[in-house]
Amino acid sequence: MKALLYSLVAGTVLLVSCAKDNVDPPSSTLSGRIVYQDQVVGVRSNASQDLGNRSTMLELWQPGYQFFEKFPIFVNQDGTFTATLFDGDYQLVRTRGNGPWVDNTDTIEVQVRGNTVLDVPVQPYFTIQNASIQRSGNTVTATCRVKQEVSARNIDQVTLFISRTQFVDNVNNTAQNSKSGAALANLNQDLSFSVSVPASNKGVVYARLGVRAAGAGEFMFTPVQKLE
Amino acid sequence: MQLTYKTLALSAGLLLSLSACEKDFLERDPPGIVLDEQVWNDATLITSLLANNYDRLPAHSQIDAGWEQFAAYDEATWSGGGDGSNNLVDYGYGRWFNWDYGLIRDINLALENIDKYSTTLPEAQKKQFKAEFRFLRAYMYFEMVKREGGVPLVTQQLIYDFSGDPSPLQKPRDTEAAVYDFVASELDAIKNDIGNDGSSSTSAFSNTRANRYAAMALKCRAMLYAGSIAKYNAESGLNIQTPGGEVGIPASRAREYYQKALDAAKEVMAGPYQLYTTNPNLGENFYDAITRKTSNPEVILAKDFLVTRDRRHGFTYDNIPRGIREDNLSSSIITPALNLVEAYEYLDGTSGEIKTRTADNSDFIYYDNLSAPFANKDARLYGTVIYPGTTFAGREVQIQAGVMAWNGSSYNTIEGGLASTYGPPTYPNGDNKLLTGSSGPQRSEVEVSNTGFYLRKYIDSTPKASTRGVLSDTWWVRFRLGEVLLNASEAALELGNQAEALTYVNRVRQRAGFPANSLTSLTRLRLENERRVELAFEDHRVWDLRRWRRAHVLWNGNSANPNAVLYALYPYRIVRPGDSRDGKYVFLKLQAPRFRAPRNFRLGNYYSAIDQGVLNNNPKLVRNPFQ
Repeated sequence: MKALLYSLVAGTVLLVSCAKDNVDPPSSTLSGRIVYQDQVVGVRSNASQDLGNRSTMLELWQPGYQFFEKFPIFVNQDGTFTATLFDGDYQLVRTRGNGPWVDNTDTIEVQVRGNTVLDVPVQPYFTIQNASIQRSGNTVTATCRVKQEVSARNIDQVTLFISRTQFVDNVNNTAQNSKSGAALANLNQDLSFSVSVPASNKGVVYARLGVRAAGAGEFMFTPVQKLE
Repeated sequence: MQLTYKTLALSAGLLLSLSACEKDFLERDPPGIVLDEQVWNDATLITSLLANNYDRLPAHSQIDAGWEQFAAYDEATWSGGGDGSNNLVDYGYGRWFNWDYGLIRDINLALENIDKYSTTLPEAQKKQFKAEFRFLRAYMYFEMVKREGGVPLVTQQLIYDFSGDPSPLQKPRDTEAAVYDFVASELDAIKNDIGNDGSSSTSAFSNTRANRYAAMALKCRAMLYAGSIAKYNAESGLNIQTPGGEVGIPASRAREYYQKALDAAKEVMAGPYQLYTTNPNLGENFYDAITRKTSNPEVILAKDFLVTRDRRHGFTYDNIPRGIREDNLSSSIITPALNLVEAYEYLDGTSGEIKTRTADNSDFIYYDNLSAPFANKDARLYGTVIYPGTTFAGREVQIQAGVMAWNGSSYNTIEGGLASTYGPPTYPNGDNKLLTGSSGPQRSEVEVSNTGFYLRKYIDSTPKASTRGVLSDTWWVRFRLGEVLLNASEAALELGNQAEALTYVNRVRQRAGFPANSLTSLTRLRLENERRVELAFEDHRVWDLRRWRRAHVLWNGNSANPNAVLYALYPYRIVRPGDSRDGKYVFLKLQAPRFRAPRNFRLGNYYSAIDQGVLNNNPKLVRNPFQ
């Protein structure tokens, strides 16, 4: 009887201590946009990437702990990002080479207290102005003008992408039409693109335009347009 | 019993002898432990250590380890179970990472212990062993630098002193150029001591242990890599580098590296090696050049296997054509793509594209037999790929996708199961002849080619080699003269000496059936194709495209780019009774049916990301770009 009692007491103590050891999951969020001149920058969605690569456009660091590892922050294709974190002081870094902008590895100090909103400024090589995309029947046409923002790199290509889902970029697309080389010699004129919708792509078509600088890994995109 | 002097003496003697025994008993050598002094004074034991270290050299895609990666680039698709690498949306940033400092440490330990303990070995033998260990260390550093750029050069054992401070063990990364320079200087330092080249009665000639020519072949390859990284990193406009030079070699050093590569290649060519030309059948000859182990004058260094010693691998079991497999499971996993087949030119110098449609694209081209489109192609195609209408080890590999039956206005495509017949009752109007070959191709079946081709290179033609009970013992060629000639050609071309470059590349082409001096002008792109066809499935393609900074251009993840998508070729028999075309064959080009995602090589793939665990252990390490 006594033994039973003791074991019950011990069990309770164990249970209680278990509950004590648990830490609440992180509940604060850090969210924000990647901006240039107060405009959000469209990028390739890398949220669908293999997490094992851990190569993202933004990374968070938190010094002061034994293991100093980055938190990969995935950026949606509309240039927004969200991360769920513990409250604390973090450092945000724009990963070298993983975006369509000039490398800038200056650290941005972030204090996360509850829900924090942050705009991350970047300096793209090229931007797309006055983009318009239309669809008539089975043809998607687009016009735009490309503006060189910094003279650091030459232009590589400007491309119209279409896809059957809302994820449209240089990897996820069903058809594309691109201009490069001599066609881009004069950037002070409108560029026009036309691509025919493949038969496999029935119903709605999503489209966006992208521009890439030579030697940069990523395109800079316009917002996705849904074309009925 | 009387206690006499005699008995006393006897018993004392017994006692003493017992105690002596005891003493001996405690001083016996342990039967289960080999002591340092024993190892380092025994040539046989050191040789087995060397064998272990050879075995541990890293492999990316070779026939005994990582052969699945043959299907991850643009040489072949995956036809086994599951998606394999047909659906790689992109290559992971840590894909080629290797940080095997365990092997480096073991080699450093061996070098130090030979100096410390080897007292009875002859001086010449100690020299030879040390040279061979240093060769392996240089090889290992080359394998690491080609994957992730500069790595810490550790040339002595790092021993922890338990002081609580590990910082003396944390070495920063050396620059990429410094590692390549280390590889070159090490190989130069050991080439006269390493032996194994038959130069003396004590050093038998070997092509499975490194000799001076293997050392120079490695140096030639490493210097070519260094030169092309220096040149093309800048020329491509990418300029991938870190501020400290851990990644990126200054373009000004390109010439020096190319010169070293050419000099090393010339040293190999001055050696006893010849291109393999024993077999009069040029296609079989090229197959023999890689797989033939006895009296093979071309192979400089290989990793050998032997069934009788239970050193085997399952490469043939996994990749033999479906129709002639000897086991009831697995086959045909790595199936070459049409992209590779078309890279082999015709012997008259025209492009290797297979013609399937008439010039105005109005109709098929009708061929008399299955192998007709491949007639007069570069013989290396036959030696590398099993294409329709050919045999393997004397057995026909039946490749036919189906029939095209004329319905009065167009063709109906009919495909059946493996080894099916086009005839009643299933097809009432059939002609009772072959519908689909016993080796496919099939569009969605596993373990049968979905490209219409099978692998020949490295597949073992010995009976029973494709069974799990026997397995195969073909060797894996690390260096052969064919590669050295192409290296020399490239280095000479980059140094601006086109005439010299042409002599080397034409030697390789002549062995493949081209006329003498078949090329009269040379560009790097031609050499790129030449390396692709000569060295297919020998673990070169991806490293070549990386060092030329071409991979992100060819494999840009764009499904409209024919280089990033893998294609198949399906042969059909024409059924058109009463017409002259009846019984002829047509070929259909299509995207390989099981191939999903175009190859996508991102800029971050040029240098493997360094594993986070490694970075945690050593805060002095600089991360790679894009990581």
